[in-house]
Amino acid sequence: MPSTAGLQFRDVSRSFGAVRALRGVSFDVVEGEAHGLMGENGAGKSTLLKILAGIVQPDAGEIHWRGERLHLGSPRDALERGIGMVYQEMLCFENLTVAGNIFAGREITRGGRLRHAEMRERTRALLDELHIPISPDAPADSLSTAYRQLLQVARALAFECRILVLDEPTTSLTDAETDHLFAVLERLKARGTTLLYVSHRLPEVFRLCDRITVLRDGAYVETCARRDVTPDHVVRAMVGRDLPPRTSAFYAARDPRPALAVDGLGRRPRFTNISLTVNEGEIVALFGLVGSGRSELLETIFGLYRPEAGRVRVGGREIHVSSPRAAVAAGITLVPEERQRQGLFFNLTVRHNLVLPDRTLRGGLLVRTAEERRAAQTLVDTWRIKTAGVEVPPDSLSGGNQQKIVVAKWLATSPKVILLDEPTKGVDVGAKFEIHEIIRREAARGAGCLVASSDLPEVLALADRIIVMREGVIQGQLSGAGATEESVMRLATHKGAA
Amino acid sequence: MKKLWHLREFSTVVILLLEILFFTWWLWPEGSRPHPFFNAGNFLLILKYSSIYGIAAVGAAIVIISGGIDLAPGAVMALAGVVGAQLFVVGGWPLAPAMAAGVLVGFASGLLTSGLIVAIRLPPFIATLGVMGITRGLAFIITEGQYFDVSSRLVGGWRPFGLPADWVAPIILLVLAVIFQILMTAFQWGRSVFAVGGNETAALFSGIAVPWVKTSVYVISGALAAVSGIVLVLVQGQGKADLATGYELDIIASSVVGGASLAGGRGSVIGAVLGTLIFGVLRNALPQIPGATFYDRLIVGLVVIVIVVVDQLLLKKRA
Repeated sequence: MPSTAGLQFRDVSRSFGAVRALRGVSFDVVEGEAHGLMGENGAGKSTLLKILAGIVQPDAGEIHWRGERLHLGSPRDALERGIGMVYQEMLCFENLTVAGNIFAGREITRGGRLRHAEMRERTRALLDELHIPISPDAPADSLSTAYRQLLQVARALAFECRILVLDEPTTSLTDAETDHLFAVLERLKARGTTLLYVSHRLPEVFRLCDRITVLRDGAYVETCARRDVTPDHVVRAMVGRDLPPRTSAFYAARDPRPALAVDGLGRRPRFTNISLTVNEGEIVALFGLVGSGRSELLETIFGLYRPEAGRVRVGGREIHVSSPRAAVAAGITLVPEERQRQGLFFNLTVRHNLVLPDRTLRGGLLVRTAEERRAAQTLVDTWRIKTAGVEVPPDSLSGGNQQKIVVAKWLATSPKVILLDEPTKGVDVGAKFEIHEIIRREAARGAGCLVASSDLPEVLALADRIIVMREGVIQGQLSGAGATEESVMRLATHKGAA
Repeated sequence: MKKLWHLREFSTVVILLLEILFFTWWLWPEGSRPHPFFNAGNFLLILKYSSIYGIAAVGAAIVIISGGIDLAPGAVMALAGVVGAQLFVVGGWPLAPAMAAGVLVGFASGLLTSGLIVAIRLPPFIATLGVMGITRGLAFIITEGQYFDVSSRLVGGWRPFGLPADWVAPIILLVLAVIFQILMTAFQWGRSVFAVGGNETAALFSGIAVPWVKTSVYVISGALAAVSGIVLVLVQGQGKADLATGYELDIIASSVVGGASLAGGRGSVIGAVLGTLIFGVLRNALPQIPGATFYDRLIVGLVVIVIVVVDQLLLKKRA
């Protein structure tokens, strides 16, 4: 579509270190349309949005609006050009009122003094226009998640906004709340605001958007009109790359014995009525997109949260885990998602990091330095952790090697059940492969492995069985052998699909 | 030597030695008069008074390493001191049980603090601020503003364990410092304290009993503050409610100067003790400098800042 109107991306590229997040992406957004931007995690959607918001600058390429080149050097530039952003993680000042939030950073002043009355008045008019029944004086921390999200929309519209960009705005909203948001967006569309809607939820995109652009691995795939395509077509476009060769033999238990059995586990609003079994020696992938409740499920099994309902059995024996300590004692370990926040001690050495869970589990009063050094060195050799030694702090290691420490230290306890949450998030291909090998070796030893992941190739390469979760419920199960990217993705994005 | 340089306590020792050298030179007497600073009697005096801070600083350092803060030591010292003194002077108890009762008061206040932090989840700053008020208040209520004259009941020439009374405080400090240094470095418990201070979430995920670790550090801090309160009463010879007012800040400053990071996860017991000696020397020597009387608090404040800044620069250089 060779037009000069609307918003045009021209050969936009951006790399972060060795990672090419965007590779020459070009597409047009027609003024006044609702345009969906879709792609898997890591497809480059967020980077593109950050460029549009002025947070990140492109290495190459241009963005044009109404035929004029945009120079977006800072978030302020983007705002002044009429580009409003609604982010996935809600940027809400909980300590301010609704009006305070809307005008935060752009307060109306006269002679340096805040014009409270005027800001309140304009907030009220704006909220009325959007049919949002909240008071301008309500404290933001009293609002529900949905209203906080709508507040972000209102904030974007408080100043002249010609392009409204929404990044996964419904992640934490219920269906009714989503309906309200969509009603507001429809009204904006009718008023002529250009919408760029980023999501991996197919039904939402198909409901709102006139045209859909798909990105994959940082590259542009296609733009299609909604009425011309089916959801399946878009799914294929999102995932349609060559699969990495499957390297593991499939798990084939003649006599499956359950290592972990979860029965009717629930903790609303995160997840409800979850029942699943992981057999000894089996690798089960728990696939779900962000917000599907997979992390929360693992953390609840691990005793970080108390479930409202349901039972957990390890090796056929019911356990009541009220703390991670109890879970570890019962033979469950969790390799957490955020290794920096949840897994590593940067004030301790690599040795301490590697032996801590095992030593904590075994109890004992004294620190046995020589024995620990041997144990740590063995782990370093086994998992090929590249480090200057075991007595250096972990921040001297690369991200992939830090990740290996977090995985290896847990496996040193020889657990019966291993829960892994995004075990290869943010690591390079080589380290990813080695972590997969480690998981397979643990399964071969007889451990039941439950791997939560939103990385489709990883799920397909690793799992003997795939359980798909969406919005806190299990959508279905697939055997690892029979699954394809399309079949998994369809379960994860469609409502009511089998 | 290289290993020494890498020891965190190395720079603290160097600062202490430089400080002693400086005051020895500055206060060098004219003619053949005895040196007012560099003499055995004065050093014993410095040791004796520093030990009172030092015993509490051992506990404060452990709390800081665990990622917390304890503002109550000064007030706990006073409460433990007056309880011990009252039982000894008014209640007619023998010395040892009276003082043991004082230490129990410290245990109790530590338990209260950890209850507020672990069970009610108050931030440590607020919890210990509250406990500081409660313990100081109780000290005033118990004494009704009176002094308990301990020294007149202590028989002349009191020699516990056959030692001169002046040596009691330094020896108690030495014993406690060695015990807790070993507990912190060679025992699983100590490593748990470092782990909780370094990354509480990771500690929880590692199966460490985080609530129990937190409880232990505040109970230890309370008990050690009580011990130092008892020692203060014995050294000064009287128990009164305004004892050790404001000590908590000097105690925290000593731990920090000795290498403890208020962000948690870093520091040492020995460092905290060395930190109290640095302050002890300052408090002893500054008043001997003519005309410096009104400057000593200012100088102490500057010294804290300079030492911590220099230490951070050194840390970068060593890394």
